[in-house]
Amino acid sequence: MKDTKTEFKLFSIIEWKKEERYLREQHKNGWEFVAVNFIGLYHFKKCEPKDVVYQLDYNPESVTQKAEYIQMFHDCGWEYLQNFFGYSYFRKEAAFMNGADEEIFCDDASRLDMMKRVLRHRMTPLFVIFFLIIIPQIILQSQFDTFETHFLLAIFCILLVVYLVFFAIFFIQFWKYSRNIHK
Amino acid sequence: MDNHIRKVYVPMTETGFYILLCLREEAHGYSIVKKTEQLTHGEIKISPGTLYGSLSKMEKDGLITFIREEEKRKIYHITELGTQVLELEMKRIERLYESMKEARI
Repeated sequence: MKDTKTEFKLFSIIEWKKEERYLREQHKNGWEFVAVNFIGLYHFKKCEPKDVVYQLDYNPESVTQKAEYIQMFHDCGWEYLQNFFGYSYFRKEAAFMNGADEEIFCDDASRLDMMKRVLRHRMTPLFVIFFLIIIPQIILQSQFDTFETHFLLAIFCILLVVYLVFFAIFFIQFWKYSRNIHK
Repeated sequence: MDNHIRKVYVPMTETGFYILLCLREEAHGYSIVKKTEQLTHGEIKISPGTLYGSLSKMEKDGLITFIREEEKRKIYHITELGTQVLELEMKRIERLYESMKEARI
């Protein structure tokens, strides 16, 4: 029986909730998260099946103030695991929770603040690509009538749809939190 | 106090209020969590992500100031501006409380 396993998973930068559920589920099945590397390979090692809550924070400031940042979470009982492109990974056993539904964020205002940080640091480059590359390319390629331009046009149209879906999901999440705050 | 501060902090979140309340004395993050739990009889448990985000935001906006570091824990204290904001919030909450009492009678 192997004691370690590796799974390939891709989560987009807005799917951290999904990723948290995935890691918790793995731990429940007796696979403790060890690390994730840059191409999306998740490493696990065999462990006692346990209910452990995994949480992700996105905070670029935590890179320069790392020791203080980790200490604050540690004081509150959260184990720091790693940093992955600005996302910090934490976990805590469900049995040790301070209240039944403890999370690393305790109000919607701070959940929205985290989304704003993701928006500012991660979504902005995507907007730039979208408006400076995808849109101009679609306009440009649609002027010509050769096989290559049709092919390119098709690719950029697919990208357009992917981007629009991505933006839509993000803004629906964003809107949900901000509606909760302002009601 | 400029409009930005007013817009962001009045009214403020419960977490924000307790952070400022606790920082009338020098304190680090975790002691704010403990003190808030005591003050609210365990009802408000500030989470580390919320706390870290609030402290760095308040420091940037000049409501609190960094004093020194002890064993990797940053100790903060409220500033003059922070006190003014807290005072505004207290007045607002007092008004809420008064109105609530009148409604109950």
